[in-house]
Formats: sequence, C-alpha cells, structure tokens
Amino acid sequence: MTRTVVYNLIQLLFVIGFGPLYAGVLSRFKENVQSKRGPSIFQPYRDLWKLFHKDEVVSSETTWIFRFTPYLVFVIPLFVASLIPVLTDYPLAFAFMGDMLAGGFFLALAGFFAALAAVDTGNPYGPMGASRTRMVGFLAEPVFMIVFFTVSFVAQSTIPYIVQKKWVASPAAFFSPAHILLLIAFFMLILAEGGRIPVDNPSGHFELAMIDESKGLEYSGRGAALMKWGGQMKFLVLTCIFLNVLLAPWGLADDLQPGHVLLAIPLILIKILLFTVVLVMIETSLAKLRLFRISEFLGAAFIISVAAMIASIFSTSAV
Amino acid sequence: MAGSQTQLIEGLNALSAGLILLTAFGMVATRQVQGVMRFFIVQSLFLAASAFLIGFNRGSIHLLALGAITIAAKVIAIPWVLKRTLPGDLYERREINQVINIPSSLLLALLLAIAAEFLVSPLLATTADPVIHANLPIGLAGILIGGYSLIARREALPQLIGILAMENGAFFAGIAIAPDLPLIAELVIAIDVVLIAVVVGVLTRNITQTIGTSEAASMSELREEPRP
Amino acid sequence: MTLIAAIFFPLLSALLCWFKPLRSIVWGITVFCLTISFAMAVMTAGQVLRNGNAVAIPGWIEVDGLGSLVLLLVTFICTLAAIFAGGYMRHGSQSRERLWWFYSNSNLLVFALAVVPALASPNLAWVGVELVTLFATLLVAYESTAGALEAAWKMAILTIMGAPIALLGFLVLYWAYHSSGGGTAETWAALSAMSSTMSPNLLKFSFLLVFVGFGAKVGLAPMHTWLPDAHSQAPTPVCAVLSGIKTTVPLYVILRFLSIILASPEARIGNWMVVIGLFSVGIAAFLLLQVHDYKRMFAFSTVEHMGIILVAAGFATHEADYGAVAQMLNHSITKSLCFYTAGMVLMTLGTRQISEVRGLFRTSPFVGGALLLCSLAIAGAPPFPIFLSEFSILSAGLRSGHNVAVAILATLIVVAFVAIMRHVNGMLFGKPEATAPVERVPLSCRTAVLLAAVPVVVLGVYIPGPVHSLLELAAQQLGGH
Repeated sequence: MTRTVVYNLIQLLFVIGFGPLYAGVLSRFKENVQSKRGPSIFQPYRDLWKLFHKDEVVSSETTWIFRFTPYLVFVIPLFVASLIPVLTDYPLAFAFMGDMLAGGFFLALAGFFAALAAVDTGNPYGPMGASRTRMVGFLAEPVFMIVFFTVSFVAQSTIPYIVQKKWVASPAAFFSPAHILLLIAFFMLILAEGGRIPVDNPSGHFELAMIDESKGLEYSGRGAALMKWGGQMKFLVLTCIFLNVLLAPWGLADDLQPGHVLLAIPLILIKILLFTVVLVMIETSLAKLRLFRISEFLGAAFIISVAAMIASIFSTSAV
Repeated sequence: MAGSQTQLIEGLNALSAGLILLTAFGMVATRQVQGVMRFFIVQSLFLAASAFLIGFNRGSIHLLALGAITIAAKVIAIPWVLKRTLPGDLYERREINQVINIPSSLLLALLLAIAAEFLVSPLLATTADPVIHANLPIGLAGILIGGYSLIARREALPQLIGILAMENGAFFAGIAIAPDLPLIAELVIAIDVVLIAVVVGVLTRNITQTIGTSEAASMSELREEPRP
Repeated sequence: MTLIAAIFFPLLSALLCWFKPLRSIVWGITVFCLTISFAMAVMTAGQVLRNGNAVAIPGWIEVDGLGSLVLLLVTFICTLAAIFAGGYMRHGSQSRERLWWFYSNSNLLVFALAVVPALASPNLAWVGVELVTLFATLLVAYESTAGALEAAWKMAILTIMGAPIALLGFLVLYWAYHSSGGGTAETWAALSAMSSTMSPNLLKFSFLLVFVGFGAKVGLAPMHTWLPDAHSQAPTPVCAVLSGIKTTVPLYVILRFLSIILASPEARIGNWMVVIGLFSVGIAAFLLLQVHDYKRMFAFSTVEHMGIILVAAGFATHEADYGAVAQMLNHSITKSLCFYTAGMVLMTLGTRQISEVRGLFRTSPFVGGALLLCSLAIAGAPPFPIFLSEFSILSAGLRSGHNVAVAILATLIVVAFVAIMRHVNGMLFGKPEATAPVERVPLSCRTAVLLAAVPVVVLGVYIPGPVHSLLELAAQQLGGH
C-alpha cells in the first residue's frame, strides 16, 4: 500500500523533473533538423533557475486571479499525472481519484484560468491571445470527449490504467480501424492543445500571432517560471497519455519491485524520444495554418474521431 | 502458429481498411488538385497491401497478382499517363470556390460512411469472416465518399480521380467477397480502369483547350431555353 | 461460329480502319463488315430458334433468345447507321483526315455493343457495358465544339460514375452465388437456376447496386440529364446508335438481373420497377412539352420508352414480358429512323431549333414525309409497331391487376403523343422560311432512311413467324424459365 503511494510520488517527481528536459530536447532537435546548432537541452532548466531568482512585477490593476493562476497552472498537470499510467502498468494509490474525463476537465480548468489571467491585465495582446486560445479549446473539446468516449466504450471503463490493459491485451483491438483513427485524432488534438505547428508557432515572438504563448506574456519572475514549467509539464502529460494509454503501452513496470519501476523511467524516455522525432518531422515540414483554417483542422480531427467511434461500435456489435 | 498469423494478417487488413477510409476523407478535405492525386495514390497502395495480405492468407495466387496489377496500374501507370496527357498547369490549381465548404463536406462524408455501415449490416449477418466485415463496409463507404467528392468538385481532374477512387472502393470490397473471381475478369477490369482514365483524360485535355478552363462546372450551355 | 463472326467482324473493321493505306475507303470497309456481321447475327438467330441457344465457347460466349434478339438489333441498327454516315460525314464540315478515327471508333462501339449480349458471365458483361460507355463518349465528343464537349463530359461523368457501383453489385451477386454452393462457372443461366436458393438480402442489395449503377446509362430519371445533351450534340449516325441501341443494352443487363431476382419469391422488386419506370415516363412526357430542339425531342422520347420497357418488365407476367421485348425491338428500329430523319432535316435546313423549321413538306417532300412517318411511329400511333407493343403492355397490365399503373401510363403516353405531334405539326406545315438555304440529301442517307423505314412499316401490320418466335423465346427468358 505504501509502495504504491511512493511510486505515485516518484511518478509526480518524474513529471516535474523531466518536463523541461522534454521541451529542451524538442527545441534542440528542431533546430538541428533545420541545420542550426540549437540551444543545449538543459537550457529550460537554466531559464527556470534564472526566472526564480528574479523580482516579480505585478500590475496594480490585476485581481487575485492573476496571482493565483501560475500556481494553478503548475499544480494541475500534477493532478492529471497521478491519474494516468506514466511508469507503472497497474493503478497506483491516487489512480481512482478521477478518471479520464476528470483529467480532461482539470486541463480545461487550467486553460480557463490562464485565459482569465491573460484578460485580467488589461494589456491588448492578452485578451487577443486568450480569445484565440479559447477558440482552439472549444473546437478541441468535442474531439477530446469523443476520443474518451470511444476508448471507454471499447475498454468498458474510464480509468486510464484499465483502458491501457485492454489495448495491450489483444492485437485485434490494437490493429482495428477504430484504433488507428483514434490515434490520428488524438495526435491532431495534442498538436492543437500543445500549441505546436500547424496550429501555433511555439517559438514565435510576434504577439499578434500568438495563441498559446500569450498566456505567459505578462508574467515575470516566479510567476513566469511557474507558467512556463506548467506548460511544459502539461505537454509531457499529454504525450504520456498518448503513448502509454493509446499508442505503445509497453515498457511499463508490471509489478511492485522498485527496480522495475526505476527501469521504466529510461524506457519511457526512449518512447518520448521517438515521439519527439515524429513531432519534429511534422513541425518542420508543415506551415502554420491561418486562423480560420484551424477550424477545418480540428473539424477533420472531430470527423476522424467520430469515424473511430462508429467503427468501434460496429465492430463490437458484429463480434 | 497459423492461428496467430491469421489473426495478425486480419489485424493488418483491418488497419489498411481504416487507412483507406482516412484517405477517402482526405480526398474530400483537400483543396489542391495535386493533393487529391496524392491521396488517391496512397489509397491504391493500401488497396494493394490488403490484396497481398488476403492473398497470402488464403494462398490465392490471383489476389497477389491483383495486388501487383493494382500497383502497376493505379500507382504507376495512371498518374504517369495523366501527367503526360494533361497540360501542366492543371496540377497547380486549387479549388477556391467550393460548392460546400470543407467542414460540412467532411461531415457529409462521415454520414455517408455511417450509411454504408448500416446498408451492409444485413449482408454481414450472413457471414462471420472478419475480412469481409472489415472490407465490405469500407469498400461501400469508399464508393459513396468517392461519388460525393465527384459531385462536390468543380475541377475536372479531381472528378476523374473521384471515379477512380470509387473503383478502388469496389475492388476493396470485391477482394474480400469474391476472392476467387477468375483472373481474366480481374485483368480485364484493371485494363478497363486504365482505359477510363485515358478517355477522361483525353476529354479533359480537349475541354481545357477548347473552353480555356478545366472547371467542368463552368460548362452550362445546354439547357431548355430558346436560342436568341 | 456465326456468333463469333457476328461479334468480331466489327472489331476487324476497326483494326482495318487504322491502316494508313486503307483510310480513304473506311466507309466502304465499315459498311461491308457490318453487313456481314448483320448476316451472321441473322444466322445465329436462326440457330437459336432451332436449338434454344447458340454456343460458341461454352461458359464464355453463348446467346439465348433474349441475347440473340439484342445482337440482331445491334447489328441491324449499326449497319444502317454506317450507310447513313457515308453521306452525312461527307456533308459535314469536318476534315477528311479525321474520318478514319470516326469510323474506327464507331466500329469499336459496335463491337462493344455486340459483345455484351453474347457474354455469358455477368462480370464480363459489366466490362462490355463500360467499353460501350467509353467509346460512345469519345464519339459524342467527335466534333469538338463547346456544346459537344460539354455533352460528352456530362455523359462521361454521370455514366461512368455508375460503373463502380454496378461492379460492386456484380461482385455481391458472385458472392451470393458462391455462398449458396454454385459451381465455378457463373453464367446467367446458372444464376437463373440457383436463384431460389440464394440469400434474398444479398440478391436485393446487389440488384439495387446494379440498378443504380446502370440506371444512369439507360437514362432513367432522375439520372437522365446527360441524355438529351449527348443525344443531340453527337453526329447524327452516332445519335441513332446511341438512342436506338446503346440505352437498350444496359437495360438488357438490368432486365436479365431482374428475371433472376423475380424468380426468388421473397424479393419483391416488380412494383418498384413499375414506379421508377412511370417516373421516367412522366418526366419525359412533361419535358417533351417544352423542348426547343428537335433532336432533344427525340432524345426525351428515348427516356420515355426506356421507362415503358421497365414498367412492362415490372408487371412480371408473360404477356407483359412479351410486350417488353417487343417494345425493345420496335423502339430501336423506330428511334433510329427518327434520328436519320432528324439528320436529314439538319442537313437540309442547317438548324436544330423547332421554331426555325417551317413548311418542311414544301421544302423537301421526301424529308417531310419521312418526318411525319417517323414521328407518328415513335409517338405510338397505329398502324405502327410501337402502338402494338404499347397496347399489349397496357392490356397485360390490366390483366395482372395493375390498374392504377396502367391508367397513369396511358395518360402519360397520350401527353407525349400530343407533345410530339404538336412540335412536328409546326415543323411540317405552314410557309417555309424564304431565306432558308436548302441542300440536297445525299443518296446514301436516303437509302438508309428507306431501308430503316421498311421494318417500321411492315412490323406494324404483320409480324413474320420467325420474329414472333424469337420474341416469344426472349420473353420466356425474361420471365426466368
């Protein structure tokens, strides 16, 4: 019993610790593919260290939302991380605290507060970015829901650990058309929610075109560090959901031995590295979509997820 | 061993079915003429893959041959022939004015896929073969979605590719439900498909030269109106 | 042997037309080969009457009564069209150099048309019908004017769109045949024998697909929109072939399929056929009222008659089947005559508009007389053959209890009659336009018209014994015996 609690804490520490590394590897690799040298993969750690040692400047026109949001954005991915399989195959201590829908709502909560905080400052760029983020968010919500529903329908459960067991169980389920369509829909969703190309340019500095970056514009010092870190952790959590629940649920520890759990850490890092390769390939070969095309992009993701749902309904009713 | 191998093959076949459905959606969703052509080539590749898989599973030589014919005809020959016979600037076109915008088109395509599943469910009740369960509904969906993309397009080349995509759908269903069709029939059918492409390509070229644009929807002279 | 000759002579002629030194006599080659083909088809029909069927390659190429009737029609109409084409193409403004391409393509079209009734396997019949569509499309686009290209494009898209749908239908039929234990040779006859054991769901589904797929080619409403354009923009001999036989051949395939499915007691398709047929006749009849181009008028009349044949097949009694095959025969010969006449009017006066043609009797008595004859014939007046077959269809319908359908059909036929005669009256009588240029009709065209008029006049009053026997045999096959 205590072991599962300990493993859960190790899981949280993993997410906290490796979030910035993931972002660092991603940006370094992207620069390498574009024949540039790129920053060191540990640069995000140095950035966070620097930011924590700086003074914070907070506008006097803001309310408690502005000051509260960075903590919320930092903590919520941790809540979600304790619900999903990151290192282990079996449910841990806090796994039944909530299911996938709860995870989705948590992430939406964080996004909601970030948007509010951006509006709170009165800076013109904040609300602009916030409204765009909300547009992407509300277009992505149906896709989230349908993906979750389909996965739960097939696996007869909404707890991520149990869902993952079902996919691992049979190759028939792994190769079914519903599965591949779900993977593609969820991948498009990650691109949208994580603010990657083709939805948004994460390395752009042009405030008029920012969608996701705009939530951290007004922050400084500790607030900025927490917002940045929280964003990186959120992306890591989404990736873990994609990899461990949907795509490649292998390499996770399946018993209570501490050695296996610690062994799972490099294995999942390898999986994340391979995913990074794919992500970078996509990012460097596509261009950012114009704003009105984002609805087509997410519309396509919605259609694909509904097709997955239909395919899974028909295949289970036939069998 | 044979059991799990069969299961793996059936799984991979179902995978290619899902990917064919995806390419059918892609053909509806893209604006570029060249994009439609690329989705068609990918769809033909998956069709050939499915033919190879089913042929390998049943030990049927002519399904393997059919897969090879599909690759030769649809992946290599038809795009090449079309590139040679049609004027070059046809490929750089994009559909700016659409009859129905893309998200609605995608929604309609989804409804057609659902309709296909409903239409074939009484037929699927007669058999338990998982290959037929995967291929038949998606084949019919491919036909319906190809037909829709044919109607919704204005440019001539995507309309032609819509016809060929419909043929892909018919074949995809056919390799599952009629795997021992005599090879001669399949050969002739494949030749027929190439012929269709050639003829419609020739027409497109003539139209582009005579009318000046390849937008087939702009031809609307013949009507029941008295000539002045 | 005669069967193979009947089918392959047009192919031979097509190949000969490609040869450079022979290009100057393409017309002669075509007429010669097609006449031989027609003679072979007559001999094959004789063989069928004696033996019940004619087999060339068992399981692949064989004809029974219905098939040999269609083959006979194909060769007859195409031979006459070839004769007509001689004068027409010379009169046209097209250059001499492309003429060989026209004849070669026409021969290929004849070959494809002839091959469909002779093939015993339904899947190969699909291939034949597709080849027919392809060659016909190329011929419609022959003149390369904007109107012709538009018509060819619409025809190509609408008819080829049905091809994969029909293909899936045939594949499902094959599946049904095999899953109820059929042998390796899937022929029409074998399908007919097994029809009561095949699963009715599969049969219905495959028939639906084939009907939708080929229905566009036949010109059934609402997929008929390409038909008036294509059948008016093509060169006249091609129009005669298109309206006369090209829409009948896919209908032949559909009717064969219908006979298989009607033998299975659980699938009730007959009433649906009646409804769809009536819909086509209705649309055609009303469109005939407001047509402005006389070639389009004849094209709409084709839609109407295809609908009538479908209604007759839907009644599903032996007399109705006899009426259906008789209507097929009579419509083909009458419609080709109509188009030859239309071609002559076009050659004489140079315009396609009804409103611009006046006083045809005075301008050219021969053309005027031919137009009067053929429009009375196609509208269904006695003493012409279409009157006989329509009457037998109506009476068969009454006898089998489809009173409402017969009433609607009779009304619509009358509407179409009135529409056609009103237009033709305007064209024939009155004062001719003073400034209209008049050209003489070439001899080959007059010959073709006279030859085509012979069966139209004769069959209205007297049906020769062998013809009647052949029709009986075909009707039996349609009924599924």
